[in-house]
Amino acid sequence: MQALLRKRSKVNQPSRLWTHLKTVASSTLGRTPAGRFLTVFPNDIFLVSYFRSGSTWSRFLFGNFIHLDEPVTFTNVEKLVPFVYGWPDRKLRSLPRVLKSHECFDPRYPRVIYIVRDPRDVAVSFYFYNLKVRVIPDGYSMDEFVSRFVAANVVPYADRVGCWEDHVLSWVRLREGKTGFSLVRYEDLLADPVKELTNLAPMLGIDPAPERVERAVRLSSASHMRSLEKEQSKQWATTKATRQDIPFVREAKSGGWRHKLSTSAVKTIEQAWGSTMKELGYDLATDAAADRELVKG
Amino acid sequence: MPPAQGSAQRMFCALAQAGRVLTGRQIAGRSLTVFPDDIFLVSYPRSGNTWTRFLLGNLINQSDPVRFSNVESRIPEIYFNRDRFLRELQRPRMLKSHESFQPEYQRVIYLVRDPRDVAVSFYHHNVKARNISDDYPIASFVPRFIAREFDRKFGSWRDNVLSWTVLRKDDPGFLLLRYEDMKRDPVVSLTRLVDFLERCSFRKIDSSAAALQRAIELSSPERMRTLEKQDAGHWVLTKGTRSDKPFVRSATSGGWKSQLDRESVAAIESAWGDLMQSLGYELASTAAAADTVSQRGLPS
Repeated sequence: MQALLRKRSKVNQPSRLWTHLKTVASSTLGRTPAGRFLTVFPNDIFLVSYFRSGSTWSRFLFGNFIHLDEPVTFTNVEKLVPFVYGWPDRKLRSLPRVLKSHECFDPRYPRVIYIVRDPRDVAVSFYFYNLKVRVIPDGYSMDEFVSRFVAANVVPYADRVGCWEDHVLSWVRLREGKTGFSLVRYEDLLADPVKELTNLAPMLGIDPAPERVERAVRLSSASHMRSLEKEQSKQWATTKATRQDIPFVREAKSGGWRHKLSTSAVKTIEQAWGSTMKELGYDLATDAAADRELVKG
Repeated sequence: MPPAQGSAQRMFCALAQAGRVLTGRQIAGRSLTVFPDDIFLVSYPRSGNTWTRFLLGNLINQSDPVRFSNVESRIPEIYFNRDRFLRELQRPRMLKSHESFQPEYQRVIYLVRDPRDVAVSFYHHNVKARNISDDYPIASFVPRFIAREFDRKFGSWRDNVLSWTVLRKDDPGFLLLRYEDMKRDPVVSLTRLVDFLERCSFRKIDSSAAALQRAIELSSPERMRTLEKQDAGHWVLTKGTRSDKPFVRSATSGGWKSQLDRESVAAIESAWGDLMQSLGYELASTAAAADTVSQRGLPS
């Protein structure tokens, strides 16, 4: 069995020679995405979050708030609010420097808007995303996925930045209360985007005139983004080679985990990260259940 | 401060990088291939990492003592070695790193040192590396050290220390050691290191009292100074730096008391006092305040 597993993992992995040739080609042509080797400038602003925590929506929201000449779409988002893994460092130098990143704590980032989302919803969203990008097959067990998600054992590029809790705490513990750091809950951004954008305007150096805020919110609504995705999903790097039958812009809601996760999956997440979740204002279902038991008892 | 790069220098760097990529010689650094059984020796710069590499190296391989010329194949550091070379080392590997929190590192020995001593040591290190001149005042260096001007990628001393201690404090794969405790009682610290390595199922190590003693003697500052004289021209960390300034410097704790002026001490303590206290470093400013209280008598 072990031998079989080893053999299979060899088949799935690209050969070392092929990886080497690709690295040589992209590096010689100066096309290696910046990622962790990004040159950071003192005025940079980073939109940082764990995966599936509303970072694409926030790119639309902040992009539409900052740039008034053209609305953000999936075809220009990489130019207006670039992703640190999307371009080589050289190219990023000439692009607007409000950048999206999924990195765990990086001491070099001077200004950070950190978006955090209920990990139970992140789990659900990440499950469907991994179906879409064919990391897991249709019918894959959600419980099984949740165990892998909690252990940061899903897919190498994501596992590298740590589990949800490591990611969130690395930023919160190191930067909360410092100038140049704002913690935003996805749920709050969803409930009252006008208020949150207005609060963040000073960091972005923008005057939060009500019309400007409302325009940004309107041009970044879930329904608007869904219709843009339908037209443009084949042109956007993130979605073009993925399954077209599963949308990238999914529910854009909070609390979906309540009917998508089993009791045991919820328990797995809450046992792993409960105290951090509570600290961030996410009520635990296991606490609520215990309360009900008490009342009944 | 690192000098502004000219375009010729940038082009040279780009070409050198392209050359390294073509020949598969990229330096590991942050793109290091991390294995789950790796053991990392992590610290902010100038916190006793090289000494610990000697201690551990001399304990693990007792028949062939560590020198500056072989330390990079025993417990290599990730910034000057090729990923390909590091991948081929015997597993589990032991590697030196200065990174702030890295979720990929699963087994970490973290060394922390009083930042006032780190400041002094880092000052002399930057003189040696020709980043500042001989007569550059240490009082001007300290604020720039606090503002992490000399090594931006590792974060400030606070960022580096706090990121690891706050996120991994209770993790069984994490061991926190203070440089000062290692100096005071190296046997106890080495025993803790050996216990940790055993928990990590590292290769069996002879940790008899005699073996510990020998490892400590083979890693004494005097011996390391002699070895540095012999090998400094070949070791990646000292090659090209000023040979009139030693890498192995005072190897003591508390040197800041005579080397830093009052303002520099106050600047460090006001920036990082809370974290220093939580690690057991007594603040001169609170000690001074306590002295005043004891002289004047407690308010009734």
